[in-house]
Amino acid sequence: MVKVTVDGIVVDVPNGSSALQACEAAGKEIPRFCFHERLSVAGNCRMCLVQVVRAPKPVASCGFPVAEGMEILTDTEIVRKARRAVMEFLLINHPLDCPICDQGGECDLQDQAFGYGADHSRYQEAKRAVKDKYLGPLVKTVMTRCIQCTRCIRFATEIAGVPELGAVSRGENMEVTNYVEKALTSELSGNLIDICPVGALTSKPYAFTARPWELKRTDSIDVSDAVGTNISLHVRGSAVLRAVPRVNDAVNEEWLADKGRFSVDGLKHRRLDRPWVRVHGKLQAVSWQDAFVAIGRRLDGVPGDRIGAIAGDLCDAESMLALKDLMTALGSPNIDCRQDGADYDLSHRAYYTFGTTIAGIEDADALLIVGSIPRQEAPVLNARIRKRFLAAGRGGFPIGLIGAPTADPTYKAELLGEGPEVLAALRDGMHPFAEVLKAAKKPMIIVGHGALTRPDARAILASAWALAAETGAIGAGWNGFNVLHRAASRVAGLDMGLVPGKGGRSAAGMMSGGVDVLWLLGADEFHTAQIGPDTFVIYQGHHGDAAAARADVILPGATYAEKSGTYVNTEGRVQRSFRAVMPPGEAREDWRILRAFSEVVGHTLPYDTVEMLRERLATVNPVFRVIGGLDAVDASALPGPTGGGAVSSAPFRPVFDDYYQTDPICRASPTMGECSRIYVHPRTVAAE
Amino acid sequence: MAHFFLHTLIGQVILTVLEALAVLVPLLLGVAYLTLAERKVMAAMQLRKGPNVNGPFGVLQAFADAIKMITKETVIPSGANRFLFLFAPFLTFSLAMTAWAVIPTNDGWAVANINVGVLYLLAISSLGVYGVLIAGWASNSKYAFLGGLRAAAQMVSYEVSIGLVIVSVLLAVGSLNLNDIVLAQRHVWFCLPMFPMFIIFFISALAETNRAPFDLPEGESELVAGFFVEYSALAFGLFFLGEYANMFLMSGMVSILFLGGWLPPIGIAPFTWIPGPLWLIAKILFCLFVFIWVRATFPRYRYDQLMRLGWKVFLPLSLVWMVLTAGFLLATGLLPQGGAS
Amino acid sequence: MGYLDRTVRSFLLAELVAGMGATLRAFFKPKVTINYPYEKGPLSPRFRGEHALRRYPNGEERCIACKLCEATCPAEAITIESEPRDDGSRRTTRYDIDMTKCIYCGLCEEACPVDAIVEGPNYEFATETREELMYNKDKLLANGDRWESVLARRLELDAPYR
Repeated sequence: MVKVTVDGIVVDVPNGSSALQACEAAGKEIPRFCFHERLSVAGNCRMCLVQVVRAPKPVASCGFPVAEGMEILTDTEIVRKARRAVMEFLLINHPLDCPICDQGGECDLQDQAFGYGADHSRYQEAKRAVKDKYLGPLVKTVMTRCIQCTRCIRFATEIAGVPELGAVSRGENMEVTNYVEKALTSELSGNLIDICPVGALTSKPYAFTARPWELKRTDSIDVSDAVGTNISLHVRGSAVLRAVPRVNDAVNEEWLADKGRFSVDGLKHRRLDRPWVRVHGKLQAVSWQDAFVAIGRRLDGVPGDRIGAIAGDLCDAESMLALKDLMTALGSPNIDCRQDGADYDLSHRAYYTFGTTIAGIEDADALLIVGSIPRQEAPVLNARIRKRFLAAGRGGFPIGLIGAPTADPTYKAELLGEGPEVLAALRDGMHPFAEVLKAAKKPMIIVGHGALTRPDARAILASAWALAAETGAIGAGWNGFNVLHRAASRVAGLDMGLVPGKGGRSAAGMMSGGVDVLWLLGADEFHTAQIGPDTFVIYQGHHGDAAAARADVILPGATYAEKSGTYVNTEGRVQRSFRAVMPPGEAREDWRILRAFSEVVGHTLPYDTVEMLRERLATVNPVFRVIGGLDAVDASALPGPTGGGAVSSAPFRPVFDDYYQTDPICRASPTMGECSRIYVHPRTVAAE
Repeated sequence: MAHFFLHTLIGQVILTVLEALAVLVPLLLGVAYLTLAERKVMAAMQLRKGPNVNGPFGVLQAFADAIKMITKETVIPSGANRFLFLFAPFLTFSLAMTAWAVIPTNDGWAVANINVGVLYLLAISSLGVYGVLIAGWASNSKYAFLGGLRAAAQMVSYEVSIGLVIVSVLLAVGSLNLNDIVLAQRHVWFCLPMFPMFIIFFISALAETNRAPFDLPEGESELVAGFFVEYSALAFGLFFLGEYANMFLMSGMVSILFLGGWLPPIGIAPFTWIPGPLWLIAKILFCLFVFIWVRATFPRYRYDQLMRLGWKVFLPLSLVWMVLTAGFLLATGLLPQGGAS
Repeated sequence: MGYLDRTVRSFLLAELVAGMGATLRAFFKPKVTINYPYEKGPLSPRFRGEHALRRYPNGEERCIACKLCEATCPAEAITIESEPRDDGSRRTTRYDIDMTKCIYCGLCEEACPVDAIVEGPNYEFATETREELMYNKDKLLANGDRWESVLARRLELDAPYR
């Protein structure tokens, strides 16, 4: 620790800290444009100038290392004058177009100009103008506004791992560019918008729609993947206009994947806003009462084991528990939250969660990824892997990959093979990567749903656990066994036991004629043709997607933005979101629909308020009691997941083909549709 | 002809009716134009022009108002006493008219030249309070009731000082006949020797007619419109006419008691050419102008101030003045004899 | 002495007479009434009347949907919605002023960076229904077109003092 004096306040900061960090430790706010906590230090904006006693001139605090006994002054006339001068230089070429700039109101330059800007310009000459660049359908550029802080270049290179941005020319002619007219190929590109201190990079879908002061902010959880990214939904009136990440160092740091950020426009398209009942083959709009009566009449006389329910990927824990309780009351063991046919060992939580934790990735020193493409399934988690990869230096964090070859995982990874046989080879020590795992002190294995949605999932799971146990990945103080989920609802469903009971049928079994009445709670990710023609399908959900078209009764539910819900991310971290807007039309919160229906069929569920429901949730599984936190699990004494049988030699398939079209909200979102056309099916675009 | 009017019963009735009409028609016309005059004078004092759209200088405004008032619907509150409610404005109006019977417009020119003229006037104006009180009670509304009570208290209070002022005048005249009172001022108008009494009488007249600054019974800021808050259309119009006719009456009393009635200011050539009734009218109009002038100038009194002024200032002052007058007349031997004998 | 003075003044009704003197003087002064609507009083170029949205001489609307007027409006009478127009420029799709909420403070006019929203000289815009006072963009632009010459002149007159 180094003792530093900032404006008379003595602070202790770690060795190698910058003067800026010391100032922050002393509670002094230092203006900055180029400096960002999670990026490398560039030191090119000069806004963070401070005075160091006995230094001949002001120093840029972001890149200036502290020394013992250093005295820093942050609020002297010299500092203010220097910052004012820097601001004047920055404003020379910055256009005065704040009124038409989307950053207006949340612009760092605007804010700092308030403190350090002059009231008029001394600059008489022509201003610089820069041609705008094309960065794809998500990020809009107005490069004349760029102040060359290079945050975007550093973000793309360091965090996103796509070195597609750079600077050309120098001095006043310096331009940030992507060299060729090509969309940014990153699932994290939306973060450029947040990271740009001015209005050079702004959100294309959100362009010109609102001002930050008009927006009401509501804390929520991103449900487009299983990372549980903390987001804030920005609402005006009844519309969710944008989603921005909240800082949570344990989960998403301050990043948000593009799907979670830009799919919010899907919340207002193709919504189910009133109940429908199919009469003589055609859907007819009805009242809630009529819809409930229609279901009740159909259920009449159907034995419990001929009724089934499947929960989808976006459901909150509350509605899934209500569904489970309703099915139990109806005497049905046929419940499932795994519409993709995945199989897990539920005997211990460690067998189906991301045991290392996301933050724990930064401690690992070797990684084996089995049947997963984290860059697509969990972009924010992938950024954490890349962070660890960069921090470890060359060869410090070897990564092995078993599964479909991908274009670019954003870090150097060795493709060990495409099928599960590589696992066996690693266990036998036949494969050279086995040595790497053995040599590592804290190795990690990530098993993805490319491996778990196969018929031999249990065997692969058992095999992966065994490999982890053998390589020292599971031990005291270190749990290197990870299951990477891709559905936001999955871990909560597994935690509450939303899986077939004794004699119950799984999702696949229910669909292939195993039940007469099938209740789909937002379950859309399968071909509806799988459902038997005589099955009476009740679809409870928010979007008119494939399953709604097949349904005999449609009950309009609420999206994640329209209800307060509990979600459990892939780590097993329980997080809560809040209601940002009201559901459209006659749509209602899902658990309330189930509660209301239970009354119609005479099995009233024992909760009237969401608090009572959450109490019930906590009694079903105590993990739901802890919000936000995560207890470390000592997995060293666990016997490992059971499961044997033959392991097929078929190669692992990617979990999905199209990152931008994975759930009903995305499929309803025009922005996501355009992304899909540009990124996933570029040839069809070229052919047009 | 003269015999028919003076010596047959039917002739006398017709004559009386004609005499009454000769007084009432100009009076009602005067009242109509007094409303217009009030608006014009007040406007002028407030730097405005006042009504000027209906006819030249707005002279038809009075008729426009009258037509409006007549054609509107008379709303009778559901809780009101129907008979008394309609009777009250009628009473007020007819009393204001009746008093004019004794006002002489020239030597001997009065509908009824009776010897107790002053007493008659006092009696009639005392009755006026009943109209107000009945209206306040019959409306069955708290504002009207409060307004009625205030009006009654106020009118009764000021009648006391009015009575005492008149007594001082009577001491100097020695007769209750209004004609005699005017004639007694042949040499000097009473307003000069009894100037304080003149002022007290005038101010009490303001209070007696519920005019500003003593218009507490109407007090729109606290009582909406006082005792006639529930009245509309013709019933309201009758109150309105009654109030303004009372202003005429009080102006007439001031003119007769203090300003020498129909007498010219000085009994020499150019003044004596003008007939007496014109002098009286001129004096009445001057008093009315002052009525309006006062209204345009002063803010409304508080109720306790009003009562204090009446009972603690005017009553003792007029009492003292009466004693002084009597003493002065006795001491100088000017006390009129024979009037009462 | 003061007491005596006060008492004498009170008995001589000095204040009453002075007051009546004041009104009598006013009685003879020239009157200020003007014969509206045939005569109208003079208006300052800063008079804040009915709103208008102005255009550039080439017919392009000035408003760029910066929403500063909406933000500054103390009565929250202004509602703006915007999106990129086909040519990529920032334009309003909706610009509503609730004239029944407006307090005619002129802050919108002051906040506008392009002199698009202005309060014109017109104060005679009473309507028969409440709905007619909910002005939309078309109405405001029409106002601007109707009053443009006056509005431009007013801004020119006021420019030296801005």
